[in-house]
Amino acid sequence: MNQADLSKLVSKLRINIRPRHYNLKNPKGPEGRLERLRIVVTGLIKHERIQLNYRVADEARGYAERLISEAIRYGDCHAPTMEIADYWLTEKQLIHKLFKVLVPRFHECNMSYTKLLRLSTDHELTRMQGVLELRGNPYPPLIKDLSRNRNLLHNVLLDAARKDYRHEQYLRIAQGMSSEGKKSNEETITGNIEDKDKNEKA
Amino acid sequence: MARVTPSKLLNFISPKIHLYSRVSKESCNLPIVTALGQSFQIRERRPAAPKPRFPLWFLKKERVQYNESLTVDNKNFIKEVSHDKFGPPAIISGLSTYDTPSPLKEQPLVKGEWTENTKRCGLITRKIGCYPMWDVKGRLIWSTLLQVVDNHVVSFIPSENINSERKNRKAKNPLGALLIGAESCDPQKYTKEYCGLFAGAGLPPKRFLSKFFITPNAKIQPGTPLYATHFQPGDVIDVAGVTIDRGFQGVMKRWGFKGMPKSHGVTKTHRRGGNIGGGGEKARVWPGTKMPGHMGNKRRILRGLTIWRINTKYNVLYVQGLAIPGETNSIITIFDTILPLRKKKQAPAYFPTFYPSDLDDPLPEDLYENSVHHFDAPTITFEEPK
Amino acid sequence: MFSNLYRQCLVEKHFVYNLFPLCKWSQCFASSQPELATESTIQAFEEPEKRSIKLEQRFIYPEFLPDPKIEWRNSIRERLERQDMLKRRSQIEIPEFYVGTIMAVTSFTPHSTSKKNRFLGICIQRKGCGLRATFVLRNIIDNLGTEVAYHLYDPTIEKIEVIRLEKRLDDELFYLRDALPEYSTFPLDMEPVILPDNTPIPVNTTQVILKPRPWVGRWERTDFKGINREHMMTLISDKMKMQIAKHQKPWEKYDLMKQYRATIPEEEQKEIFAEVYSQLHQLELGKKKSKRIRTFVKPKKSA
Repeated sequence: MNQADLSKLVSKLRINIRPRHYNLKNPKGPEGRLERLRIVVTGLIKHERIQLNYRVADEARGYAERLISEAIRYGDCHAPTMEIADYWLTEKQLIHKLFKVLVPRFHECNMSYTKLLRLSTDHELTRMQGVLELRGNPYPPLIKDLSRNRNLLHNVLLDAARKDYRHEQYLRIAQGMSSEGKKSNEETITGNIEDKDKNEKA
Repeated sequence: MARVTPSKLLNFISPKIHLYSRVSKESCNLPIVTALGQSFQIRERRPAAPKPRFPLWFLKKERVQYNESLTVDNKNFIKEVSHDKFGPPAIISGLSTYDTPSPLKEQPLVKGEWTENTKRCGLITRKIGCYPMWDVKGRLIWSTLLQVVDNHVVSFIPSENINSERKNRKAKNPLGALLIGAESCDPQKYTKEYCGLFAGAGLPPKRFLSKFFITPNAKIQPGTPLYATHFQPGDVIDVAGVTIDRGFQGVMKRWGFKGMPKSHGVTKTHRRGGNIGGGGEKARVWPGTKMPGHMGNKRRILRGLTIWRINTKYNVLYVQGLAIPGETNSIITIFDTILPLRKKKQAPAYFPTFYPSDLDDPLPEDLYENSVHHFDAPTITFEEPK
Repeated sequence: MFSNLYRQCLVEKHFVYNLFPLCKWSQCFASSQPELATESTIQAFEEPEKRSIKLEQRFIYPEFLPDPKIEWRNSIRERLERQDMLKRRSQIEIPEFYVGTIMAVTSFTPHSTSKKNRFLGICIQRKGCGLRATFVLRNIIDNLGTEVAYHLYDPTIEKIEVIRLEKRLDDELFYLRDALPEYSTFPLDMEPVILPDNTPIPVNTTQVILKPRPWVGRWERTDFKGINREHMMTLISDKMKMQIAKHQKPWEKYDLMKQYRATIPEEEQKEIFAEVYSQLHQLELGKKKSKRIRTFVKPKKSA
């Protein structure tokens, strides 16, 4: 049984955290593990999108997120934060980038600061690869967002099905109106449906 | 399963066609695979587990989640249809589920009479953690919390339709079975066939299913919700779950061997098992010898545990002991004990199960066993002998 | 030192981000335009003080925060546990105390002849969360070091008195076992010291002198501030001194995820204390009333 560490307050990360860290075997032990991750974090802040071994990417993602959240939380006038940034960013000009570019960029962001994608690789030849990127990077997106394309067959069929569904709803209401005299309730229902339709059109 | 073709998808959603295929009468007899039936290598002195075989009602449960690139309107429309069918999403006793309008199509079945040989159905629970309580004499009681997670009766399988090895035996009391489901889910997650299992009872698909053998007088109408008050504080139950998977372990952890000394000339054999057999006629490794190997991830039953306390608001059972198999947040099935000396001798308070409509006043939030100290009761004191 | 470093960096002026036009980012995050970094950072620096005022309760009620181990967490269990803790707190006044506080516990035991027992000592450890919370009291009685571990929510505890409310330099005082006995000897009839309201908790900065080895722990490898280090170094061999550096883990303060996994994030702490705030506040009010009565009664006795 453990007790939560009270000495430090941290902001909540918006990524899924594994219950236990990946070991990432290293001849130098835990210190070497951190040094390896440090290279990745520096590379991520520098290039904004990197491709690497998936487990290393997953592990480094948490450290990058924590670094950015600490920078947002305490700013550049806080000595411990500056020490941490100094450790994690081996190229010192990146400290400027962290505080002057990334902090304003993510200051009001309510999502995770990074994205991790799995690459389809040949598992027999290589280890699983992933792409780690900062949100809002200048490169073209890796996955095309087709959800606005109404002309996809799925969407065409579903649009038709929705019209039918609405039509049936109207019919049912009309039947109810003719058979029973409960107007007040149904008016609100029809109003709701019309609102829905309007929203959809908009 | 292949990628969902548009025509299939239209079938899936179009209101003209039924949302989910209805269960035919034949498929009612079909049993369902529990998540707990798994095959293992047997390496120890334990009675051999029954041979795992696919139940006849084996259905493909999960479908591959492709990115269908649906527009926002269409996504909302699919949600709307499922909410029209199963009710709006709601949080009921701490769990997110659907506020399904009472799926009991007919009146609840006529309640049977309890006899000594009656077997009731059990419940599917989630182990949510352990914490201490104290009894009225100030002694510490460790309890494990089991939450009854949104349980509903899915279907009743009469004894003649149960297709198992038991069918051939000439049993005195032929047992039927109740299929219980736990944790309502989004129907988009599962295959059409799997969702069809629940259509008969008018329920959304459930994440977990379990089959409990019952005597016919304990049957319950499909669609009935089950609560923690199916049991009473002081009842004795058996719990079944899958133990924590510890991977390949040595003899010290797996069998509790003592190991060998750390020093005094001992080299390279500090955690080893030592000798595994004799010579002469016994010059071989006997079956069942305790050796290193895979530990955990096996279904185990712990019998004869007392229920100390019941929380009716969140449907939580406080069960005796810390040794209930499985990790925190894993699924555990519980049922009345079969231990002959601790079995029920009298009819349970609610038979075949608890119906909230039967009571005039709602139950209090906490029900305690008589010997358990209430947390809001004054300090326990002992008087000096005179 | 770090501000110097920062200034150096400013001088170097290798701005990687100049490679990309800033407007591209502003497209993605229209609300947060990277204009002047200084303003926003100053704001961010001021905020933590406000936060800490609200979350001061975490030091007074540490057991209300759940175990941070991810596999063991369950929101419903945690809520039920908190309700039970509050129920017990409505029956007994559990005062504010810290490691290093001298306290006395009166509890009932069926095995002793008098059935009632009072133990006074210094709190050397406070651990566990929820109903499992425990604390350990240490005192030397008849030249024998005695430690008693109590469950904080044990219903057989009748009264918990705080004799002298103070903190020590460390979160655990197990080194008192190896320190000279005078550091953990307290008379059983100590008079309680009442602190005036709204005073900060005093920190006792005594540095204990250890007895010669053998010890129960390898104190030379730890960084407990409450041990007199100069004296301790005279007690250990040269070989042990050589090995101290080998066992240091200076990289752990940079292991951000290890720290994260060991704590409960601020947002969750706020949720938890918001849930129990009203009940705790009422209990505190009741405590203040009883305190006033007590302080009023005392002068009568002496007179």
